[in-house]
Amino acid sequence: MSRQSMLTIFGALALVVGLTGCYESSDVTFFEAGKYQGGDDPLLQKLEDPEFRAGLDRRFDGQRDR
Amino acid sequence: MARMKFLCDADRCIECNGCVTACKNANEVPWGVNRRRVVTLNDGEPGEKSISVACMHCDDAPCAAVCPTDCFYTTTDGIVLHDKDLCIGCGYCFFACPFGVPQFPEQRAFGSRGRMDKCTFCAGGPEEPGSQAEFEKYGANLIAEGMLPACAEMCATKALLAGDGDLVAEIFHHRSTSRDGRPQTWGWATAYGAGLS
Amino acid sequence: MKLIRKHAAAKPSGAALGKPFDRRALIKRSGLTAGGTALAASMPLSMMRRVDAQVSPEAEKGPIEKRTTICSHCSVGCSTIASVQNGVWIRQEPDFDSPINLGGYCAKGASLRAHAKSEKRIKYPMKLEGGQWRRLSWEQAIDEIGDKMLAIREESGPDAFWFSGSCKANNEASYLQAKFSAFWGTNNRDHSARICHSTTVAGVANTWGYGAMTNSYNDMHNCKSMFFIGSNAAEAHPVAMQHVLRGKENGAKIIVVDPRFTRTAAHADQYIRLRPGTDIPLIWGILWHIFENGWEDREFIQQRVYAMDEVRQEVANWTPDKVADVTGASESELYEAARTLAENRPGTIVWCMGGTQHHVGNSNTRAYSILQLALGNMGKSGGGANIFRGHDNVQGATDIGPLCNTLPAYMGFSDNAWKHWCRVWDVEFEDIRSRFDTYSPNGVHRMNVPGIPVSRVVDGIMEDAENLGQRGKLRGIFFQGLSANAIARGPEIQEALGALDLVIVSDPFPTHMVALSDRTDGVYLLPTATQFEQAGTVTASNRSIQVREKILDPLYESKTDSQITYLLAQKFGFADEMFKGIAIESGDHPVWEDVLREINRGAWTIGYSGQSPERLKLHMANKYSFDTTTLKAEGGPCDGETYGLPWPCWGTPEQKHPGTHILWDPSLPVSQGGLPFRARFGTEHEGVNLLAENSWPAESEIQDGHPPVTYGLLRSLGWHADLTPFEMATIAWVGGLTGKPSQTVAEEEIASYRTMESADLDAVAWHTDISGGIQRICLKHNVAPFGNAKARCKVWTFPDPIPVHREPIYTSRYDLVSDYPTYEDMKEVFRVPIRYESIQKDDYSGDYPLVLTTGRLVEHEGGGAETRSTAWLAELQPDMFVEIHPADANDRGLRRGDWVWIEGPEGGRIKLKILVTRRVGRGVVWTPFHFGGWFQGEDREAKYPEGTAPYSRGEAANTVTTYGYDPITQMQETKATLCQIVKAA
Repeated sequence: MSRQSMLTIFGALALVVGLTGCYESSDVTFFEAGKYQGGDDPLLQKLEDPEFRAGLDRRFDGQRDR
Repeated sequence: MARMKFLCDADRCIECNGCVTACKNANEVPWGVNRRRVVTLNDGEPGEKSISVACMHCDDAPCAAVCPTDCFYTTTDGIVLHDKDLCIGCGYCFFACPFGVPQFPEQRAFGSRGRMDKCTFCAGGPEEPGSQAEFEKYGANLIAEGMLPACAEMCATKALLAGDGDLVAEIFHHRSTSRDGRPQTWGWATAYGAGLS
Repeated sequence: MKLIRKHAAAKPSGAALGKPFDRRALIKRSGLTAGGTALAASMPLSMMRRVDAQVSPEAEKGPIEKRTTICSHCSVGCSTIASVQNGVWIRQEPDFDSPINLGGYCAKGASLRAHAKSEKRIKYPMKLEGGQWRRLSWEQAIDEIGDKMLAIREESGPDAFWFSGSCKANNEASYLQAKFSAFWGTNNRDHSARICHSTTVAGVANTWGYGAMTNSYNDMHNCKSMFFIGSNAAEAHPVAMQHVLRGKENGAKIIVVDPRFTRTAAHADQYIRLRPGTDIPLIWGILWHIFENGWEDREFIQQRVYAMDEVRQEVANWTPDKVADVTGASESELYEAARTLAENRPGTIVWCMGGTQHHVGNSNTRAYSILQLALGNMGKSGGGANIFRGHDNVQGATDIGPLCNTLPAYMGFSDNAWKHWCRVWDVEFEDIRSRFDTYSPNGVHRMNVPGIPVSRVVDGIMEDAENLGQRGKLRGIFFQGLSANAIARGPEIQEALGALDLVIVSDPFPTHMVALSDRTDGVYLLPTATQFEQAGTVTASNRSIQVREKILDPLYESKTDSQITYLLAQKFGFADEMFKGIAIESGDHPVWEDVLREINRGAWTIGYSGQSPERLKLHMANKYSFDTTTLKAEGGPCDGETYGLPWPCWGTPEQKHPGTHILWDPSLPVSQGGLPFRARFGTEHEGVNLLAENSWPAESEIQDGHPPVTYGLLRSLGWHADLTPFEMATIAWVGGLTGKPSQTVAEEEIASYRTMESADLDAVAWHTDISGGIQRICLKHNVAPFGNAKARCKVWTFPDPIPVHREPIYTSRYDLVSDYPTYEDMKEVFRVPIRYESIQKDDYSGDYPLVLTTGRLVEHEGGGAETRSTAWLAELQPDMFVEIHPADANDRGLRRGDWVWIEGPEGGRIKLKILVTRRVGRGVVWTPFHFGGWFQGEDREAKYPEGTAPYSRGEAANTVTTYGYDPITQMQETKATLCQIVKAA
């Protein structure tokens, strides 16, 4: 094997190895929140009530310049 | 459903700390713990701006993402709350939070870290709303009583607003347009260039 | 494996925050992590636990009652709602209905609940005996104090005692304090308005008639420009900034002039730094441009201003180069300011202690007023002189409370004034006169001479007796709601306290007095209720009167100011006479409504006559119906009235005057709150007319300038026929022609007076006719009771008729003293001499090169006894500090956080930390004045009774402040003195 072809092979190998280093898998581990493990908050139920929500929005009028 | 939001109008904020004591008044957090703080930039020099900061109730809350005990939950309208019974006081959330919000009250001598405490948007935590247990762990639950966070309700200049994001935006938009048609909120020039209006 | 954000695309909302947030900065900024922990360690355990006050309704049964009170800190008048359960204040809620604060509060207002329940209160009466605090019962305390006071009175006369009132007391308590000292027989009484806005009251009242804020916080929505000088509203009146910033959003241009780049300046369009004590050259410097460019309002000046030409002459001396040299403000800065003010009318001017606390304070306030007159800004919505008062009820306590230079309602101490109040009190003038000291040099009775002012009590104790304008030195003091650290020359006060026979402190907290004094005996502490523990009225800076409901019963063994006054009156045997016509409930509680009605019956000069308790309560119940800009009710039971019936509210309550929102506004009829300038200084001076020309309030039936309305004037117009028989009879009584009439007096009995030509009868005037008849007829014809005159730029009775610059007594620019010297020494002003040139003759600027000035922090109020004893506030602002420019710090080898001594030219020194900041200019240092509890390097915690030392203690700024007093009002010069700063070992 000539020096030249050896160099070519090594060069190609180096290129392959180098390129491999640049590879980024799209299959990453997202750091996602786990499932909430704590107790129930009765407030959540209350917030579902549109009338209650409307009350909060009316209360917000206090923060207006009037 | 709209999201609950805080907004601090830096053109109105005068660093009077009314929000800070209003929070203490509502939640009776102990000495040394401040769920809300007013931060002043360029203190004492032209360009001085103040802004009141507490938990921003992030949509994708980093604290919740990193919590090893998964003690965080988010209400349907975006209030980030947590269960102190699960909290182990590790401080990972403090590390993750971009605003330095989580605090760890000293519960014993020699500075051992207690369970994480932060702004609840005056919505208490996972206990019966208005109960003594809830108050002791999380402070007031004004939301359950149909009120909004004390800090914003009591703001001296109505700089700090808290409520449905659409309503907050409506007020801020109105103010912005009356200020020579250009929002002078802090950071505008940095973000969009000084010449842009 | 890498961690990537779940949603990589940045949200634009994140970018709006600009540069990324430095979390460590957030922690650092709080300054609490280290100091807070240390302080927390010293806190009682109960503070560390959750306080069980705020509990859920189900946890503790009992109805929750909501009551409304007014914040007891500054003069804005913020209303707040307290929820009370089982006698405990469990929650504080915003009062969105209040047109004044719309539910907004600063750090102090939002922590009223902690203030109300502070554990640092004086809990029971105590006396200092052999260096130990000993508990007393109230009976013992009143007995012992009373006996000792009487003994001093017996030996040295009634003037040997000095009483302080309080700007924290409600109107009724304040008025009773004033009445009490009259029955005791002395004018030696005062309150902290003396060292707050006394120069404003004197300067401004002598310019246009009344010395109060002319417009309102709310009216600032209408300003086109705002000129703040010596006012840091963002810290001193934070909720006022709600209206200021709304005004700014409406297009107003804001100019802030101050030696410091304040938090208010941070919101200004233009900031001008001036050297402390150069306000007059600065104003003249602006006026120079105004006159030069013809920007003055000539029509306004011609119609409504006297002697502007003489101002013009003085101003001509102040060329821009001279102004720049003296004040430090450049020609271009002042030109820009002048142009802003000229092009943006109407504009308002705001000033506070930065302008008033100078030995030329009265001239400063007149110069400010003259600027507004030149611009034609007075008597207009959006214009005016918005003089922000300090304490919550300093306006009311000044209007009708205990001042050393006047009876209630600014009536002075003339025999006529005394006779007026004696008629109101239903006592004999001779009886009151007999209670006073008979010492009468030059035949002038001490009853007719102002007493010793609060700023000079120290000299009343220490000055040689022959230099005092009274029989002898002061031997005892009674401080009811006044902080000793508010007064200049701390070390001398300490010495003076030691020279007294008796010191009494009546206060919710022990105050700096206890820490300052080295006495081991003869000090009494009386636990006094806060404003949350009593009902009454409070007058905000804009003259609106609001009602406080009682939130809690007095805590511990506290009693209210009025109760204590009553108990002492009883001890001295004049309670029955003093409280004639005032009901006393549960033994010792004077009923506030009755007291207010008595004020209504006497305070005609300023129109405190129409604000009956019933009308005020109606306003409180219908707050929501008042417009937040005009303060006017639209519809509802208060339709057409202005919120809180700001004085003058002419006539009797039945006449339903709506109150005066904006003073001196001729565009409205007098009956609707309109007014011309007051005719107070005669009809002419040196042949020049002082009455208004071609200007009168809308619908006035006298369409020209006119003097104050007297019975004589009514008679000449034929309007006297409208007086009812009772009114006519009252006028005859006041005129000395008959005795006190009955309400049912018949026409036949008084018919003869209607046709009588009598000088005595004719002299009865709008302010002495206690029937209100003259004012009623004035309103009917829309004529201003006090006449219609010009405002005057020249006060010919003052040492400087036109304000002129005088260098501070201790000045850093000694080279200017030869051109702008202070006054010659004065022999007797309010019973004490004032030294001026004998101090200024020495140059201290070499050894003490830094100018020292003082000011406010938002978290604290006044002497800070209350706020430093409120845990949440003490936590936010725990330490005394001094602001120093980086160059001055580097010159002294000082670094951030170093402990330093500030040394004053009179020997006082204080130890504190430095804050290196460009907020102050080079050569100027600034300290807050709220701290106390330390004295010259020593924390005197041990001097407080157990458990009453405030959470936060520090040096009192006034330990290093120096001599210097205004010649008209005895205001202290605490805003411009000298000091040196050295590193503490």
